[in-house]
Amino acid sequence: MRHTISVLVENQFGVLARIAGLFSGRGFNIESLTVAETMDSKVSRLTLVTRGDDQVLDQITQQLNKLINVIRVTDFNKATHVERELALIKVRADRDNRGEVSKIIEIFRGRIIDVSPESFLIEVTGTKDKIGALLELLKPLGIQEIARTGTVAMHRGMQLLTTARDEKEKVA
Amino acid sequence: MPTLMKPTNTKQKNDRHPLAGATMTGADMIVQVLADEGVDTLFGYSGGAILPTYDAVFRYNEGRSVKDEMRLVVPATEQGAGFMAAGYARSSGRVGVFLVTSGPGATNAVTPIRDCQADSVPVVLICGQVPRAAMGTDAFQEAPIFNIMSPCAKHVFLLTDETKIEETMRSAFDIARSGRPGPVVIDVPKDVQNFEGIFKGEGLLPLPGYSERVLNVGRSRLSKDETKAFYDLLTQSKRPLIYAGGGVINGDAGPALTRFAKRFQIPVVTTLMGIGCFDTTDELSLQMLGMHGAAFANYAVEDCDFLFAVGSRFDDRVAGKVKEFAPNAKLAHLDIDASEIGKVMNVDWSHVADAKRGLTQLLKGGEGVKADFSTWVKHVVELKANHALNYNRESSAVQAEHVLATLNEIAGGEAFVATGVGQHQMWAAQYLDFKKPRLFMTSGSMGTMGFGLPAAIGAQLANPGALVIDVDGDGSIRMNLGELETLTTYDVPVKVLLLNNMGDGMVRQWQDLFYANRYSGTDKTLHKKDFIKAVEADGFGFAVRVTKNSEVRKALEDFVAFDGPAFLEVMVDPTAHVYPMVGPGLGYKDMITGAHIASRDAEEVDDSEPGATEYF
Repeated sequence: MRHTISVLVENQFGVLARIAGLFSGRGFNIESLTVAETMDSKVSRLTLVTRGDDQVLDQITQQLNKLINVIRVTDFNKATHVERELALIKVRADRDNRGEVSKIIEIFRGRIIDVSPESFLIEVTGTKDKIGALLELLKPLGIQEIARTGTVAMHRGMQLLTTARDEKEKVA
Repeated sequence: MPTLMKPTNTKQKNDRHPLAGATMTGADMIVQVLADEGVDTLFGYSGGAILPTYDAVFRYNEGRSVKDEMRLVVPATEQGAGFMAAGYARSSGRVGVFLVTSGPGATNAVTPIRDCQADSVPVVLICGQVPRAAMGTDAFQEAPIFNIMSPCAKHVFLLTDETKIEETMRSAFDIARSGRPGPVVIDVPKDVQNFEGIFKGEGLLPLPGYSERVLNVGRSRLSKDETKAFYDLLTQSKRPLIYAGGGVINGDAGPALTRFAKRFQIPVVTTLMGIGCFDTTDELSLQMLGMHGAAFANYAVEDCDFLFAVGSRFDDRVAGKVKEFAPNAKLAHLDIDASEIGKVMNVDWSHVADAKRGLTQLLKGGEGVKADFSTWVKHVVELKANHALNYNRESSAVQAEHVLATLNEIAGGEAFVATGVGQHQMWAAQYLDFKKPRLFMTSGSMGTMGFGLPAAIGAQLANPGALVIDVDGDGSIRMNLGELETLTTYDVPVKVLLLNNMGDGMVRQWQDLFYANRYSGTDKTLHKKDFIKAVEADGFGFAVRVTKNSEVRKALEDFVAFDGPAFLEVMVDPTAHVYPMVGPGLGYKDMITGAHIASRDAEEVDDSEPGATEYF
């Protein structure tokens, strides 16, 4: 099953490798990974998406929670949440197909952020599925290059990662 | 250059460190924090990238009396240093420290670091590293220690910020001993050791997530509901059993566990790591369970209807077949590590706390609880009598079990014992008694051959005056053979008992059972080594070989009584197998008890083969 996991970590070298190692050590691939500072520059928020057996992933999440530089871990599959990613797409856009490309982008609420005589550079945000659908539509028109950020996620409502506790941590 | 100071007992907590404000080098700061932490012994091997710190140790010791100095013990290899530090830590509960150079020095230390992580042993390893500017250039004696050690240790620091030397050092000790203990590695580039700066004398790294988790577990409280739920399970059961592991020893919870077991009259089985947490000579002790556990211990696991796991983790040498482990029992689990709860087995009750705190609160919450398990205790006492450990008493070849049973009569459960890995390790676990925690030291989870000799040296240095015995095998002792010389160099009065079966006995046993007696790589009958000549050359004043049953007792008595390092080699039956045996991946109902231990399953065929399995 697909899992989206967010981790608050101390903003230091080596933390990322240690976290990635818990997944690679079990032969799990990380599908996407995003890391950046939070409001507190000493703390980074890392979000990763992976697939695997639920029980094994639960165990990995528990072990993430043991790493010294990890502050908080949450697996969003246990809560209602929102996921987004951002993609930059360079698509062929010449006199012939410019109108068509623009329409598609509009439907997906993307923005054209750079224009050349032969291409558009498009910025779009959304779920992985939405971006996938846009790519499907643009593919026949000639996608030149794409760059995607990977998923970021947040709980709905007032539940915060800074206060989120894993079930087992509650027991503790 | 200021003289580094030993902390004085009169120093108040809020007092300024007497050296605060002094200018000193990074290496001096490292050694000063070691002194402040109360480190009296350092194990390690010097080299280019750690020279400044070794020099600081020399200067620290200069002019100090022997009793006040930081003793430096130099092994044959860095792996030896690591296991000495581990033996020091396991036997005393204090953090063991070892100090090695960069590159090969540090990579040789990987095995003991991983071993300490797997067995939750608090050690701190300080590695030299090439200067910061040279890092990542394939410099001489450079290895990526931060990367190599990261997945093997509880935590690794690469000390690139010269303003954080003290804080990092202190935090390393904190991390090593707090929560579930483990090894911490500090990789220190040479130019950071040579840095000169102001010593602050205080400060820790913030570690917000970890500190909060440790604090939370340290403050954990059993609610009334949780306590009631536990005692409901206990009082509804008729055949409760405690399954205690290394967490009881790490948590200094032996006395609490004993009070709990006695209070309700609940029998106790322990894991290999838990041996000694409950006096093995007590009537309620059913000794070790698992793959080579006592038959009566494993029968009790089969029979019990409530199993209380304390500081143990249902590992594959205990619950080889999870579905069939304790098939009739409700399960309760008390552990300091939340990730262990439900990792292997779903449990009916759990609580995350250190074993001492958890057991003490349970005892308090159960003051009014009445329970009578006398019928069950009578049953397990019968199991002990009817299915006692036994071995081939007819053979003219010396049986290792006989040697250990005799040693047990002499040592009386009071000696420190370290072991290598293999048959002799299992027989030591089966036949030796331990009346107190921390007496038995063995590489439980990693199963590192070569652990015993250096671990015994570390234990002896932490416990001067105590009887420390290394029970070793010929395969295991070869792995760190160089430390025999270390032993005599420092005149450490360890007693080395070598049970020589001329091969890797445990592997050979599996080859007998699963590989049709094809002894690929395990037969050592053609090896030329004369261990007695070897240890005489190393300076042992007692070096004796025994080949006959009739010589065993006298030789053991002389060996134990010898004042100084002693070596006793006993040539034992190379064909013997360790029994009982629960084959890999099998349930306890498939336990083979062998030809000499009474099985309670009438249909058992003595030499039935459990069948090969991929899950070893």
